[in-house]
Amino acid sequence: MSKQVKLKIDGEYVTAEAGQMVLEVARANGKFIPALCYIDGLKGLGACRLCLVEVTGIGRLLPACTTPVQDGMSIVTSSPRLAECRKMIMELLLSERNHICSVCVSNGNCELQTLAAELGVNHVQFPYRYPKLPVDASHERFVVDHNRCVLCSRCVRVCREVEGANTWSIISRGINAMLAADLNEPWGGSSSCTNCGKCFEACPTGAIAMKGKAVGENAKRAERIARLVNARGGAQ
Amino acid sequence: MKKVRLATVWLDGCAGCHMSLLDIDEALIDLAQIADIVYGPLVDIKEFPHDVDVTLVEGAVSSTEDLEKAQVIRERSKLVVAFGDCAVTSNVPSMRNQYGVAAVMKRAYQENATLQPQMPTQGVPALLPVARPLHNVIAVDLHIPGCPPSPEVILNCVSELCAGRMPKITPSFRFG
Amino acid sequence: MKITDLETLNAVRRAGLAKLRPGRTRIAVGLGTCGVGNGAEDVYQAFLSAVDAKGIEADIKRVGCFGFCAEEPLVNIAIPGMPLVVLNKVKPRDVDRILDELRKGTVSPERALCKIETWDHLSGAVKDGSDAISGIIAYGKGFPDIPSWDEIGFYKGQKKIVLRNAGLIDAEDIEEYIGVGGYLAALKALHEMQPAKVIEEVRAAKLRGRGGAGFLAATKWDFMRKAPNDGVKYVICNADEGDPGAYMNRNEIESDPHNLIEGMLIGAFAMGASEGIIYVRAEYPLAVHRLEKAVAQAEALGILGDNAMGSGFSFHLRLVEGAGAFVCGEETAMIASLEGMAGRPRPRPPYPAEAGLRGRPTDINNVETWYNVPVIINMGAAWFVRTGTDSSPGTKVFSLVGKVKNTGLVEAPFGTPLKTFVYDIGGGSENGKAIKAVQTGGPSGGCIPPDMFDTAVDYESLAAIGSIMGSGGMVVMDEANCMVDVARYFVEFTHSESCGRCVPCRVGLDHALRILNGVTQGRATEDDLKTLENLARTIRDTSLCGLGQSAPNPVLTTLRYFRHEYEDHIQEKWCAAGVCEDLFLSPCENNCPLHMNIPRFIQLFKENRLEEAFESVVMDNPLPASTGRVCQHPCDDRCRRAGVDQPVNMREIHRYIADSVYGTKTGDRVLKKIQARKLPETGKKVAVVGAGPTGLAAAFYLALLGHKVTVFDENSEAGGMLRFALPEYRLPKAVLAREVAFIEAMGVEFVFNTRIGVDKTPKSLTEEYDTVFLALGTWEAAPADLPGVQCEGVMHALHFLDKVSHNEEIRLGQKVVVIGGGNAAIDSARTAKRLGADVTIVYRRTRLDMPAIPEEVIEAEEEGVNIVFLAAPHRIIADGQGRVKAIECVKTVLGEFGKTGRRRPVPTDEVASITCDSVILAIGERVDSVFTGGSLLTLNKDGTIRVDRHTAETSMKDVFAGGDVVQGASNVSNAMSHGKRAAEVIDSRLMGEDRFQQLFKPFEYKNDTPAEPQGGERNISATVPAKERANCFNEVMLGYSMAQARHEAERCLRCDAKGECEVA
Repeated sequence: MSKQVKLKIDGEYVTAEAGQMVLEVARANGKFIPALCYIDGLKGLGACRLCLVEVTGIGRLLPACTTPVQDGMSIVTSSPRLAECRKMIMELLLSERNHICSVCVSNGNCELQTLAAELGVNHVQFPYRYPKLPVDASHERFVVDHNRCVLCSRCVRVCREVEGANTWSIISRGINAMLAADLNEPWGGSSSCTNCGKCFEACPTGAIAMKGKAVGENAKRAERIARLVNARGGAQ
Repeated sequence: MKKVRLATVWLDGCAGCHMSLLDIDEALIDLAQIADIVYGPLVDIKEFPHDVDVTLVEGAVSSTEDLEKAQVIRERSKLVVAFGDCAVTSNVPSMRNQYGVAAVMKRAYQENATLQPQMPTQGVPALLPVARPLHNVIAVDLHIPGCPPSPEVILNCVSELCAGRMPKITPSFRFG
Repeated sequence: MKITDLETLNAVRRAGLAKLRPGRTRIAVGLGTCGVGNGAEDVYQAFLSAVDAKGIEADIKRVGCFGFCAEEPLVNIAIPGMPLVVLNKVKPRDVDRILDELRKGTVSPERALCKIETWDHLSGAVKDGSDAISGIIAYGKGFPDIPSWDEIGFYKGQKKIVLRNAGLIDAEDIEEYIGVGGYLAALKALHEMQPAKVIEEVRAAKLRGRGGAGFLAATKWDFMRKAPNDGVKYVICNADEGDPGAYMNRNEIESDPHNLIEGMLIGAFAMGASEGIIYVRAEYPLAVHRLEKAVAQAEALGILGDNAMGSGFSFHLRLVEGAGAFVCGEETAMIASLEGMAGRPRPRPPYPAEAGLRGRPTDINNVETWYNVPVIINMGAAWFVRTGTDSSPGTKVFSLVGKVKNTGLVEAPFGTPLKTFVYDIGGGSENGKAIKAVQTGGPSGGCIPPDMFDTAVDYESLAAIGSIMGSGGMVVMDEANCMVDVARYFVEFTHSESCGRCVPCRVGLDHALRILNGVTQGRATEDDLKTLENLARTIRDTSLCGLGQSAPNPVLTTLRYFRHEYEDHIQEKWCAAGVCEDLFLSPCENNCPLHMNIPRFIQLFKENRLEEAFESVVMDNPLPASTGRVCQHPCDDRCRRAGVDQPVNMREIHRYIADSVYGTKTGDRVLKKIQARKLPETGKKVAVVGAGPTGLAAAFYLALLGHKVTVFDENSEAGGMLRFALPEYRLPKAVLAREVAFIEAMGVEFVFNTRIGVDKTPKSLTEEYDTVFLALGTWEAAPADLPGVQCEGVMHALHFLDKVSHNEEIRLGQKVVVIGGGNAAIDSARTAKRLGADVTIVYRRTRLDMPAIPEEVIEAEEEGVNIVFLAAPHRIIADGQGRVKAIECVKTVLGEFGKTGRRRPVPTDEVASITCDSVILAIGERVDSVFTGGSLLTLNKDGTIRVDRHTAETSMKDVFAGGDVVQGASNVSNAMSHGKRAAEVIDSRLMGEDRFQQLFKPFEYKNDTPAEPQGGERNISATVPAKERANCFNEVMLGYSMAQARHEAERCLRCDAKGECEVA
């Protein structure tokens, strides 16, 4: 039995186990913290920056997914400052690639779309970048459409940490960063891919989609990842 | 009470948003009590009128004509609403943006034409290099995303605007 | 042999000392990358072969760098018993002479930069019974004509702790390092100290991480020491230095690699780490080579490896060459890189000290942090904290680069003010241009303006003003640097180095760069600026690692301190620095206040199309003959021909064109042509107040735009300062009169002898006219705070010149003293000279600081005007009748640099008296207080009218203002530019559309650029010999002959021609 810690979230006292992350604890206590790169069952990465929270006494904003709870900590999960930051980050994400919800297989089942609505993003102040990006349909079961990828790396991590195949990685830097299978080969030609489909389940958008399924049928079941991990005795 | 002068405009879009507007069904009758529709695809007036209170703009800004219209609309309307995803995000019309106008035209009018492959040059406005959301070219007062926005959202927005209030942005404002 | 105790160490030490003091001459060539890049390798080889050839007894050694990059190659020479002499800029061809001198036992002072009599290598006092060891090397005394190293500008104010061995010892020889006390500290720590004690010492020294964050090293170390010892712990040296313009670590390693190894060994011992890694930038091959060699040497002597120095402690050190990404300097990204993954950071916690490399406790410190460790152990924390500030003891090494005279590696105590770096160590501006900013902290730092140069350089003070310490980059920028472009450049860098993991940095920087590109290309709007600012703040506040968090700093600080430059780019499409090429035609056009199309008139003239050349000139500048004589010619300052020989004399060319056309049939033709181009009458009435250059320029364009223009002036003739302040010998009245007539012919009406403020007010004018443009000059003398100023015989320069131009009689007497250094001072002096007086100018600064046009100063001296520099008036002494008898002046010396980048004159006690009959004060002018006193306009503190910078609008409706009345006393071309700009704005306000460009018609002309620079050297305009001119008011500068003008035009490089390049 690990140590219990007591902390305040938005003014309410909650208890948690030492070593738990703020995000888990807050969500377990019914708080809404947006996140895209976080997925139950995998270690936090702190990449999407949507789950930033204020911690009393610390000037910087901290990502809830990688900040461990501490005794006596006081967390603020929503404030005008946070709302503004999250909104701008969401707008940055939407402007980055070609997210066209109306023609997307994940329309209605997309975390990006839902979060945008929840964060009150009803338009994007930045001009869209309209990059020219490929669609890789070489895999027999799945398609990866880079136009819809948000580089959350959930597929990369689930493939490495849960499946152990290490098929996915992110190559290049900065704005040119891209998801790649093996040594940047067509996914269908990957020798490491086990066709397990965990990346599909983990993907928050329509970037990884299942072939032969219509829009409504492409719902992801990300909770499966956590169930699988828990069945194996928890995260590594 | 003076009626609100309401206009609707159809730029580069599929008219789906207008269909969704009509889908407010019987509420159209109530709307007609408080607003005059002074311009729209179904209103037989050629020139965009002056002194419009609220203009709903459907569609992306894709051609030189769209751009000119947008500017006239801005000049003559108190409130301009980007109505639906095409106006808000440029949506489907923007799918051509990454390929460039020349390639798109060639594909549409030459490679896929079975009879008389040729570029349309007369009587059609030139395409802009990229299709853009409305707020990239003029100031927009309210964005209603959705492809199309639901009749409920539309009704709520139009009623609020006609009553002189800004509608509250809720999660029902959703892309797609 | 292995070093296991003091005895074995001392054995090596003696061998090392023998190499350093060989009992014969030792010649050491600085062969860091910097030296090699400047040809030091050739110098080294030259010494080697010459020594052999000449049979001279001398050791030739390769050492690292002594820091003064601007003076490379550096060579130091130690003759036994004599001071070590540092020679600068040594070329292979100098070697023979140096050796010949050495044979005579001497070094010529002309070749020497400085000397070192004793040097402390800071190894503390340790005795071994046989010889006292202190690390102090006494070279000897002598060479009185060579300054000591700490007396010359660059080194004065520096303190070498980290760089104590750099440039003095052979970096590739462990014996020399041990010779100056190396590895003593390690021996002491490993044999005599407990790990906790080592950390205590480092804590007491308050050693802060030199990589930029300034975290206390001891805190991290303590954490490491207390981490469970259930496996390996790592210490890592971060030598992945990647800031543009920063090379501190490279130099440290290249010059003294063992110091790093020793620091790491001590740290590893304190933390219980058995493995060490130096993550060194792969682009530093020399540093890599020297480190590899050093590690092998230390292993061979048993200093590294199992049972290090016989202490039982084991430490294995290896090198890893960096992956070439800037972000790998971030510690978590570096760990990822070391683990074989892409260098992308992860959030902390967990901190590396808990879970670092391969999940093990890991300490990462910057190169320079490690360098401070041996000194702290040797000299003690108490000694260490004596340098620097309370919160940041010790020194910091900076690479001082950019627009200063002395560039190089500077080590100075924390708390040293920025101005010391810029003006004292750096020696101030490299080329006389005003320094505009210092950028600290590399691409993530901020740009600090000169009025903040008092800021102390330490972590907290820099952070308080929005910059950072960073790892030590310090880039000085001057007025030729565009701050928007600087921000753009750094964002371009961080944008391309962003790892792409977190959204704000990956996407945010892309949008920031797009907006900045838009600003530099003239496409941005004010809204873009607001978006940029919000975006920059969000990137700073939300990014994952230090790269993203600090990447917006250059944007935020330039927006804070140089916002007007962004606004110039956006609103006026103007880059004052002349950097953003999309915004201008050519550098000369950009720097011309009137934005004359200079390459065009030069080309038309070259093509023998005089009429069109004149048309081009006069449409851009309606007073071309006057400005052709008296303009301050800022075009010269940016002319690219200066890079070949001298700038093209554009002023003289347009003077020639104007002089040869005015009053001829060609002139009449052009006049008619322009009259014909007048836009239809608008029915609008504009009043212009002041017939000086500002008013004339405004009137010319407003009349052409079809408005009815009336110009009011209190004088009886037009011209303002040009007519009444500029002496006849510089600008003949007849020349001006022709130009005024040309302007009048456009339909301008003049009303003279009317003083605004007395006869009419701006308010009353607005009732009669649609728009009023105020273009009054600054005719009132600034009050002088000088005892005796009310004496008879004291007068103000403008009043004096005004009287002379009105042919009034003035009692000057025989001896005249003029106070001041501007054009008014020179004009007064030369005028007084022509009236027959003996003239002395007294100026409180030096010749180079004089605001006057340099040619004018030289001409004045040729005419026999005497100039006393560095003297300030103290009081004026009167005789019994209250008439001036003499003036007392205090000698001044140049003190600290003021905000304008010039040194402030500081009075001394030395007073001298100059007898004289008159004193002319040329110390500044201000706006007529009769006018401003009764005015309803909002004024600035100095009495000038407050206007919108971009539109010239005053606080009163329909009233605009420009020229000296807005900017304070300036010069003719600045004044005219205000008039021209105001005409454009006024017209657009009156007519509701932009019509100004309709006045200008395009010209067709050739756009061939010369393959090679043509025309030879700059042509010098003929002047009347000093003897003939000093007694009369005939014009001095005769202008170009036709042949000269042609040749000069040939010299233009046509920077405006921006066609496709044909690459053969």
